[in-house]
Amino acid sequence: MGQLLSGLWHAARAAGGAAYGIIAGVRPSLSQRAATPTTSEKVAHAPPPPPSCNHVSPRANPVAASTSSMSSQPQSTQGPAPSAAPPASTSTPATSTSTSTSNSASTSTKPPKQPSSKQPAKPKDNAAAASAADGALTPAELKKKAKAEKAARRARERAEREAPAGNAGGAAPGTPSAKKGAAGSGGAGGKDAAATPGQQQKGQKQAPRRGSAQLTGAAEVKKKQEDKNVAVFGHLYGQQRRTTVAGAGKEVHPAVLALGLQMRDYVVCGSSARCVATLLAFKRVIEAYTTPLGTSLARHLTTHLSHQITYLSTCRPLSISQGNAIRALKLAISSIDPSVPEADAKAELSDFIDSFIREKITVADQVIAGSAAQKIQDGDVIVTFAGSSIVKQTLLTAHKQGKKFRVSIIDSRPLFEGKNLARTLANAGLDVQYSLMNGISHAIKDATKVFLGAHAMTSNGRLYSRVGTALVAMSAKERAGGVEVPVIVCCETVKFTDRVALDSIVVNEIADADELVIADPVQQLTGLPDPAAPAATELKKGKAAPPPVEPSTAAQKVPSPLTDWKGSANLQLLNIMYDVTPAEYVDMVVTEMGSLPPSAVPIVHRMSTNL
Amino acid sequence: MPSPPVALTPGLASFLKSLKTNPIDTSIDDLISLLKRRQIRHSRSCATATAYLLRSVISACRTSDANKLIERVQYVGRRLMAAQPREMVVGNIVRRVLGLIRDEAEDDREADFTLSDAGSESQPQTPRVLDDLSESLSGRHEGSDRSSSRQPFASLSAPPISMFSLLSHPEPESSLPGTPASASPSGRLLSQIHNKDIRAEVLDGINEIIDELGQVDDQIAAYALDHIHSNEIILTHTSSTTVQKFLLKAAAKRKFTVIHAESYPNNHEATHATVSGQTPDDDELLSTEAFQKPLIALGITVILIPDSAVFALMSRVNKVILGTHSVLANGGLVAAAGTRVIARAAKVHQTPVVVVSGVYKLSPVYPFDFDSLIEYGDASKVIGYEDGDLVDQIDVQNPLYDYVPAESIDLYITNLGGHAPSYLYRIVSDHYRKEDINV
Repeated sequence: MGQLLSGLWHAARAAGGAAYGIIAGVRPSLSQRAATPTTSEKVAHAPPPPPSCNHVSPRANPVAASTSSMSSQPQSTQGPAPSAAPPASTSTPATSTSTSTSNSASTSTKPPKQPSSKQPAKPKDNAAAASAADGALTPAELKKKAKAEKAARRARERAEREAPAGNAGGAAPGTPSAKKGAAGSGGAGGKDAAATPGQQQKGQKQAPRRGSAQLTGAAEVKKKQEDKNVAVFGHLYGQQRRTTVAGAGKEVHPAVLALGLQMRDYVVCGSSARCVATLLAFKRVIEAYTTPLGTSLARHLTTHLSHQITYLSTCRPLSISQGNAIRALKLAISSIDPSVPEADAKAELSDFIDSFIREKITVADQVIAGSAAQKIQDGDVIVTFAGSSIVKQTLLTAHKQGKKFRVSIIDSRPLFEGKNLARTLANAGLDVQYSLMNGISHAIKDATKVFLGAHAMTSNGRLYSRVGTALVAMSAKERAGGVEVPVIVCCETVKFTDRVALDSIVVNEIADADELVIADPVQQLTGLPDPAAPAATELKKGKAAPPPVEPSTAAQKVPSPLTDWKGSANLQLLNIMYDVTPAEYVDMVVTEMGSLPPSAVPIVHRMSTNL
Repeated sequence: MPSPPVALTPGLASFLKSLKTNPIDTSIDDLISLLKRRQIRHSRSCATATAYLLRSVISACRTSDANKLIERVQYVGRRLMAAQPREMVVGNIVRRVLGLIRDEAEDDREADFTLSDAGSESQPQTPRVLDDLSESLSGRHEGSDRSSSRQPFASLSAPPISMFSLLSHPEPESSLPGTPASASPSGRLLSQIHNKDIRAEVLDGINEIIDELGQVDDQIAAYALDHIHSNEIILTHTSSTTVQKFLLKAAAKRKFTVIHAESYPNNHEATHATVSGQTPDDDELLSTEAFQKPLIALGITVILIPDSAVFALMSRVNKVILGTHSVLANGGLVAAAGTRVIARAAKVHQTPVVVVSGVYKLSPVYPFDFDSLIEYGDASKVIGYEDGDLVDQIDVQNPLYDYVPAESIDLYITNLGGHAPSYLYRIVSDHYRKEDINV
């Protein structure tokens, strides 16, 4: 029996490893719920896709490509997954606990609790699974438990050995990723550090010893890093973005795992793109979902989704649109009649997601593009900032209508989202001018209209959008001696929120400050000294950034003085994602429900949520 | 053309080195090409180069006729200004030198009258002066004609004499050959001196300008404690040595926070170097700045932000301190691109905007056409070679400067003190003569 069980376990583990390998490279499969708890070092160090601001990035990995192609055409590519017998039970809306995940402030406090909140849930899962007499799973779980105990013992011994070393050096060889995990709690650090099988349970068993050892090691790193957090934005730093899929809960669906990394790396970027991609991933989650016995779909699916949502929010804080979509989805789930068979309920939810994407985003975009394009006249000079998909669609629509106008794109560091917009528009044959933040006042000089995209519209009529938007809007309104340039915001109502914002400090998102360090010097066209140089750049792309290969390039180009900014005291880098544009700079908000003044945002939001 | 021992990259340092050995016409051509190629860029470097060149020009100019000197300087000045029309500082220095020559010429004329009236009264003072004067002049005689490099030392050795002789000049020998004052031996000596003197005075004046250029940042920094209070949050933009010195001076006494916008495509490398305290590999910056401690070493928290985050942070900022490229007579300024939106954002948030600038950047030019003041830079800094396909299709712009209207500025701090923008015209009229505004 024991032999058989261990064999099963190894098989499951191998499947898990394979599944993770797939996530890193090829294509996620739907069939490894049992395999999720393992963590594989290979995945942990798999090179993330290069950061790109476009949600249809040509350099993205196949998963990204498949997701983004789905996002452009929201069609179901998967048939409904085989489902177990539907359980019968009363539905109770469990939404209230998790609907607030869109709140970035609450997400920042939530993740540290993640392991502890997850652990109690697991034995219940196991019990449910055991009662379901799922022959393959239960012995594996048992075996895993035994293994976990052994692993825990080993880890404890190792922790004792490491404790002095960790105190002395701060980075013992045994804990290579201590620094990574240090931003989270000690528990999170422990999770990262020890990639042993069955580490889910380990957290409970030997938490005190290991946790304390970890904390002392982490404390030094933490003290150093706190210095690097800009004091005013201290409340936003919360947890560092997830670096790997390691430590993700076993409930997290591979599609969601992949999406999380894509969002973190800005492969899926932009409010609507993230919203659509999340919904599509959740559709697959729902398709792969089977309700455990003893509970109902309406009750359990929301908690199942909450795990996915928590994972996503550790990759990157959720956007307003994602929050709104998730809220709508949860509402739809909780309103499903428990007597409906599971297959029907899931089909219903899939339909709901499809129609949500269609109504709120795809068709809404078309409507907005159509009506915003009417605002463009021949001879206009349109200024836009960064790369909004809806503005792109608007400009392309107007161009197709045969209007002759010029577009001036203002872009900013570090994402350079406008570059893709410029490329798309130029390929479509528009007359495009491109400049960076330093060229605002020049670009705005001959502007006749400003079109802006939005991340969100707050209830007090302010525009919450990519950082820099406020400067563009302000310049449009304060042109010296000239008439004011109308500022038009294109925004779907799904991006409306009932939150309010006065400044850009209370609510914002902090991105990794290292993005500001100019990483790779531009590739030398000539004079590459030896064949080792390409290898060096290859390695650098993989974010391994090995110092030994540096000299070959350093001879040609001095590395950026910021490369070791973390080492120099008192120097801080701040990389915020959004800013808040005052309502008085916005003349018109074009939505799928019509063109409104910014003051109408709360009314429209109430209407659209009450419908 | 650059002199043979050019191991240095062409710039201010190599120019100053070659100035000592090269003939004057070569040096003029050299500076013109350096300006044209933008190998001398910073306004202070331009000013220094111009001042040194004009000093050589004048010392090489073997005439004592003020009008000829003016003509010569105007000719050289026009060529220099044409080489870089947007570098106002070159014109400013030329105008100030012209003003010096005119002042000296007028003083001479006045001195003629005063001496002829009261020659006997001034007589007792002259012999004492003359001993020194003749000493210094003998030294000058040897050096002045051939090599200009020795000139400053000679004139610097006797600064009080030159000041004194300003008041105690007899009339020029050539203009008034047979006056009673020149009959006496001492009087004859004086008139001989005078031939050289207008040039000597001008050279002294130029040396003063050069000294001013060297000290201006420290003089401005001396006002720092009047303007920065404890725990203040200060926003600045690009790397300006004037601003850095200003902040450093305040940092010695007070604790505050600096938010530094990086001015991305054109000056971010220098900004990053300034912020992190690594020596910028810039030849143009002269010795001392390179060894300056960075703000972070003095315990000042420096927050580096991309330019786009300025509006988001402005609500927390107490004061915006900006450097500038040049200041115009109407109180507006031409500064690094991106300054204008920063000043605007500050205005919107009711945050005071302080501009620190040496008086030498103050130009008598009135900006009728703002666009003509703006220079455009290298587009490849905006879109690199890796996006070459894109460059073919779109129009990439990289302005180097912004015109910032006077309304956005609350205070100017120059080496003369703090001024409201509306007062600048007065400083302009103090420093430049009306007839030189159009060189």
